[in-house]
Amino acid sequence: MAPKDKQEVEVTAGADKKKDDAKNKKKKTEEELADTMSDEDKELKERLDTCVNTVMNKDNEDKVTAQIRLNALDVIVTELRTATASMTSVPKPLKFLRPHFASLTELYTVVEKDGDGIDVKMLELRARLADVLAVLAMTMGKPEERESLKFKLKGKKDYDSLESKGAQSKFAEDNLGSWGHEFVRSLAGEIGQEYNQRVIDGADPDQDEPFKDILQMVDVIVPFHVTHNAEAEAVDLLIEVQRLKNLLRLESIDENNFQRICLYLIKTADFMSDPDDLTEMLETAYEIFRKQGQQFDALRVALRMNRTDKETITELLAECKDPLMRKQMAILLGRHRVNHEVEDDDIEGEDAELLNELIGNEKLSEQFLKLAQDLDVMDPKTPEDIYKSHLAETGGFSRRRDTGSANIDSARANLASTFVNALVNTGFGQDKLMTPDNEWLYKNKDHGMMSAAASLGSILLWNVEEGLTQIDKFLYSTEDYVKAGAALAVGILSSGIRNDADPAFALLSEHVEGDVHIMKCAACTGLGIAYAGTAREDVMEMLVPIVEQSGSSPTTMLEVSLAGLALGMIFVGKCDDSVGGTIVQRLMEASDEELDHSHARYLCLGLALLFLGQMEKAEAMIEAIRTIEHKISKYAALLLETCAYTGSGNVLKVQEMMHQCTEHLTEDAEHQMAAVIGIGLITMGEDVGSEMVLRTFDHLLHYCELPIKRAVPLSLAVLNISNPDFAVIDQLSRLSHDPDAEISQNAIMALGIVSAGTNNSRVAGLLRQLSEFYSKEAGHVFCVRIAQGLLHMGKGLLTINPFHSDKMLLNGPALGGMLVLINSCLDLKNTLLDKSHYLLFYLTCAMNPRMLITVDEDINWRPVTVRVGQAVETVGQAGKPKRITGFQTHTTPVLIQAAERAELGTEEVLSISSTLEGIVIIKDNPDYEQEEGK
Amino acid sequence: MGNMPPGMGEGGSGEGGQNPPGKDGEGGEKKKKKKRFEPRPASSNRQGRRRRRKGPSGLNKIPTVVPNSKCKLRLLKLDRVKDFLLLEAEFIRNHEVFKPHEERDQEEREKLEELRGSPLAVGSLEELIDDNHAIVSSSMGPEYYVNILSSVNQDLLDPGSSVLLHNKTMSVVGILTDDTDPMVSVMKVEKAPLETYADIGGLEDQIQEIKEAVELPLAHPELYEDIGIKPPKGVILYGEPGTGKTLLAKAVANQTSATFLRVVGSELIQKYLGDGPKLVRELFRVADDLSPTIVFIDEIDAVGSKRYESSSGGTREIQRTMLELLNQLDGFDERGDVKVIMATNRIESLDPALIRPGRIDRKIEFPLPDTKTKRHIFNIHTNRMTLADDVDLEKFVMAKDELSGADIKAVCTEAGMLALRERRMKVCQEDFVKAKEKALYRKKGNIPEGLYL
Repeated sequence: MAPKDKQEVEVTAGADKKKDDAKNKKKKTEEELADTMSDEDKELKERLDTCVNTVMNKDNEDKVTAQIRLNALDVIVTELRTATASMTSVPKPLKFLRPHFASLTELYTVVEKDGDGIDVKMLELRARLADVLAVLAMTMGKPEERESLKFKLKGKKDYDSLESKGAQSKFAEDNLGSWGHEFVRSLAGEIGQEYNQRVIDGADPDQDEPFKDILQMVDVIVPFHVTHNAEAEAVDLLIEVQRLKNLLRLESIDENNFQRICLYLIKTADFMSDPDDLTEMLETAYEIFRKQGQQFDALRVALRMNRTDKETITELLAECKDPLMRKQMAILLGRHRVNHEVEDDDIEGEDAELLNELIGNEKLSEQFLKLAQDLDVMDPKTPEDIYKSHLAETGGFSRRRDTGSANIDSARANLASTFVNALVNTGFGQDKLMTPDNEWLYKNKDHGMMSAAASLGSILLWNVEEGLTQIDKFLYSTEDYVKAGAALAVGILSSGIRNDADPAFALLSEHVEGDVHIMKCAACTGLGIAYAGTAREDVMEMLVPIVEQSGSSPTTMLEVSLAGLALGMIFVGKCDDSVGGTIVQRLMEASDEELDHSHARYLCLGLALLFLGQMEKAEAMIEAIRTIEHKISKYAALLLETCAYTGSGNVLKVQEMMHQCTEHLTEDAEHQMAAVIGIGLITMGEDVGSEMVLRTFDHLLHYCELPIKRAVPLSLAVLNISNPDFAVIDQLSRLSHDPDAEISQNAIMALGIVSAGTNNSRVAGLLRQLSEFYSKEAGHVFCVRIAQGLLHMGKGLLTINPFHSDKMLLNGPALGGMLVLINSCLDLKNTLLDKSHYLLFYLTCAMNPRMLITVDEDINWRPVTVRVGQAVETVGQAGKPKRITGFQTHTTPVLIQAAERAELGTEEVLSISSTLEGIVIIKDNPDYEQEEGK
Repeated sequence: MGNMPPGMGEGGSGEGGQNPPGKDGEGGEKKKKKKRFEPRPASSNRQGRRRRRKGPSGLNKIPTVVPNSKCKLRLLKLDRVKDFLLLEAEFIRNHEVFKPHEERDQEEREKLEELRGSPLAVGSLEELIDDNHAIVSSSMGPEYYVNILSSVNQDLLDPGSSVLLHNKTMSVVGILTDDTDPMVSVMKVEKAPLETYADIGGLEDQIQEIKEAVELPLAHPELYEDIGIKPPKGVILYGEPGTGKTLLAKAVANQTSATFLRVVGSELIQKYLGDGPKLVRELFRVADDLSPTIVFIDEIDAVGSKRYESSSGGTREIQRTMLELLNQLDGFDERGDVKVIMATNRIESLDPALIRPGRIDRKIEFPLPDTKTKRHIFNIHTNRMTLADDVDLEKFVMAKDELSGADIKAVCTEAGMLALRERRMKVCQEDFVKAKEKALYRKKGNIPEGLYL
């Protein structure tokens, strides 16, 4: 809180010291000092001295009436108020009044004793004196005594009694701001301290009574701050006295400053340690937005608070008067993958069907393809286009000898090509391997075949109608693997898309209930991908029996795990009791053998995802998990805890995770790996923390054993999903040459994740080099290929960054999909490098076009110019600071990078959405006037 | 380089991330295998020098905290940074207790010393051939194609950097990281001068201006941000000789906690072509590294005089030095917390480009002292002298002579000397009168005043 007063004190203290020095050293007397004063200074000092003497009236002369004393006091007041000196030194009048401070205080204590029984004039004099003393005390009183506030409060009381006597003082009004900003700030600081002191002394913070006097003060100061461009200070003061709700009553909040206030509230909320404070701040911002008719922003805040329940959204939609804003809200819901159904009666005179279409992302494929056409990237790419092995030949001569003998099993290479092909051509609906004919499919075998068939789903992503016709034929294949792959493809295809026919559910349900193992696995995974985040009860009912089934064979455990994972994805962040209960029950009943299974981790992950970002709601579950007597319980508990605190930036949790890393373990260190990834998860999305943990990771690499080091690159990746930061790439590239195979493999995967969908040429070069360097090691090559596929994902039109809407909202399904990959990387050998590579398709949930499209009211494209540049943090700054720097002007559609932000480049139109991301509706600016000469 | 974690500081041990602990004892074979992993991506090697400085080492920097204005959010963010630093400290403490590194480090260091051999030759790196080889030249003359030891932190290798060479094989065994010109390190003021603001007589406006322009932006940048202006980048102090320009700069150095670099304009003029501009560059680079910094350039007219056509190589070199100075003051690269104070007594002869707003935003004039100030200065200088009762300083103060601060000091000193000469314990009025005559005569110098009488 306004530490300005401190500075002020320092300044005086400094001056003081200097004076003392001078005195000691040079034995300067007061008179000599006076000698050096200029004539004006002398005059001022004399005038003030006389005034003080008059006010004091030591000799009790009768002729010095209260009125004269009052006048003298007025002179002092004017001098104090009009003193404008430099900011480097103490105002002169303040300096000259300093010697009189003690005597004036004395005088005050004397007159105070008289109580209220004095005449009006004296009362006014006393009140005025209290004002002056309050100002003087700002610099001269002892900081911890809060004298300034005390005098002010006493003065206030006197003014009140004056008023009650019917003699309202002309000074009672406007008695704060007129003393200057510095004074108000200092007072605000003291109010904060006083409040805390009273709370410590036993006052109940929920009651207004014990704080009545200071709250009255607050009610004056806050509007003063708000009207004087100091919104941050106003909010700070209210936080300090725990009366944030007062903001809502404030009339001075208008269309000019609510954005700044809300931004400050939202950003500060991130750093609140107490979850109640966090909710209160967001709640306040939410209410302000609603009051200002900004339901779109209100919805953003509601989503930030994880309020995805039907009532909130329906209410907001109904409240919104602007049909365009309703559409924009529907688009946001779609982007956030909220499964909200708008009913016809919810909104009057509005086409609910259209809104549902927007929420259900039904036109996503259409928009994406149009974007691709506009950017001219429709031509399908082959894996070879990505590998660019002809470029790789140029390595050092020492390597060239080896290349001939490089001999990786072709099945693995084909599998890699399948994935690269699927990733690169994601959503384009055409490629060169899968769609033309079936030849490629049959170049693979077993699980490879399954993934190949499933890759069709990825290629045809979001395009349900077209996709189903293409996949249909494989659904009736005689080969179980192809059939399973096709089933998975159906799931992938409809990821995040709502369709009236609900094909994924219809087609996959029979496989889930069937008895072919591989079909069951595929169907569960497919459902998990298709309905991630939707919390559909019917899907749950279908999957729960799979989780509950028992049987000692490893295949059963695989099915159980995958079903558990799918449930986790579908109910991500929903804390659903029955799902949680089912999974935890299954984990508790499981035999040691089952828990030893390499895929048991997915069951734990499924449980953890349920509580993604829900903080303390997971506590009970963590306790339950800890009762399991198996090493996996530690891993599961940490996974659960870190998922729950994802994006919270909670330092205490980071500390806990760090403590986990102090032990030096070389085996059974799964939980440590979870902890390291947890550090990344907890701090992600918050700038300060995520920069600071980079240092922490340095230490982890420096001090810890292999298991922890293995998780570090993954954690780095979590922090920078689809955001190829120079420093992080550098670090990862160093780790990718580590002698330990798992560190290097993880680093390579991390490179892919960090650069996913960016086409970053630096990473492309690094990966090409790595593919050469590890040409003899099959595992590494596979990783490099996947990383390359990720890098060129969707030909650079996609992102897997779970944060959207100006980095404010965390998309649960997206992060869930990411976590599946990250956790698979903890044990690459038994998961992705083995038979469950199809789990990679969970990434589909995270994919989203990183486009900015501007559309008119009918959701038809309407290109406008926009400026795209580096995002600048503008919170708490005065005026209208620029929000981007180093921008370029483009015409929509444009692609937006992770750290970038866009703003409209023309006055001609207005955007409905406050953040320019994804699909944005624009309308004509009614105030726009064409420039002359055009 | 002060903010690197332990173990990353020296060129030799910079690879902490790559060597898994506990694998050193396995002998030569392991070494050979290691070598295979040595080559690193080419792209990271071919970065520009400046970029690299901001690159990986950026991992270790503390994030900048916005907003700059004082508010709760800033407090919370700074608290967060502090929490993380505490966490780090705790973590490191735990690990050091658990597994003391010192012994092992010592052992490793000895081994490394052995490999490096002694004495070490100093050469400069001419060219990097590939990751393991380079061409170096030593001061003796010939250039060698040599090995680079794997223990050398390759990120720091740059063509042109000074490297340590093994005395026999000439292979690169280390880097002299601190390539700062020793000239620059001399400029740093380690011991603050004793002069304080209290020692300055008068000059209140000047003190205030310099405080606003130099000290406050470093101490309280948020004040400027609140208003929405950029703080001034530098000031120039000008005025008659002896009016206290350097004194004020000393007081600033005494008062500030920022790094204070002081240069005299003439120091920037070097013997060889290009050395002067290089020194200026170095100076500002060091200033940037050590920021917040105040750079004080005294007698700027030595390099900053107006440009003119000249055929002499020397003048042109001086002009180039000035051009570099121009660029450093307000050029392409953003300077962080570096404030510049210049002093001269001939502002009219300076190049207009040097003192344009944006480079030097504030011009502070130091006039000759007026009566009041003169009195103050006399007081400052005489209050430690034992004066006889008959001394009446008012007479000197009121005299119409053009006395500068330095003159007054000279008068006082001279008076003291005169008293000493006569073995008196007190300085009397007569001494002062004589001293003044002497000082003023000296000041007028060789101008044959009598000619005009």
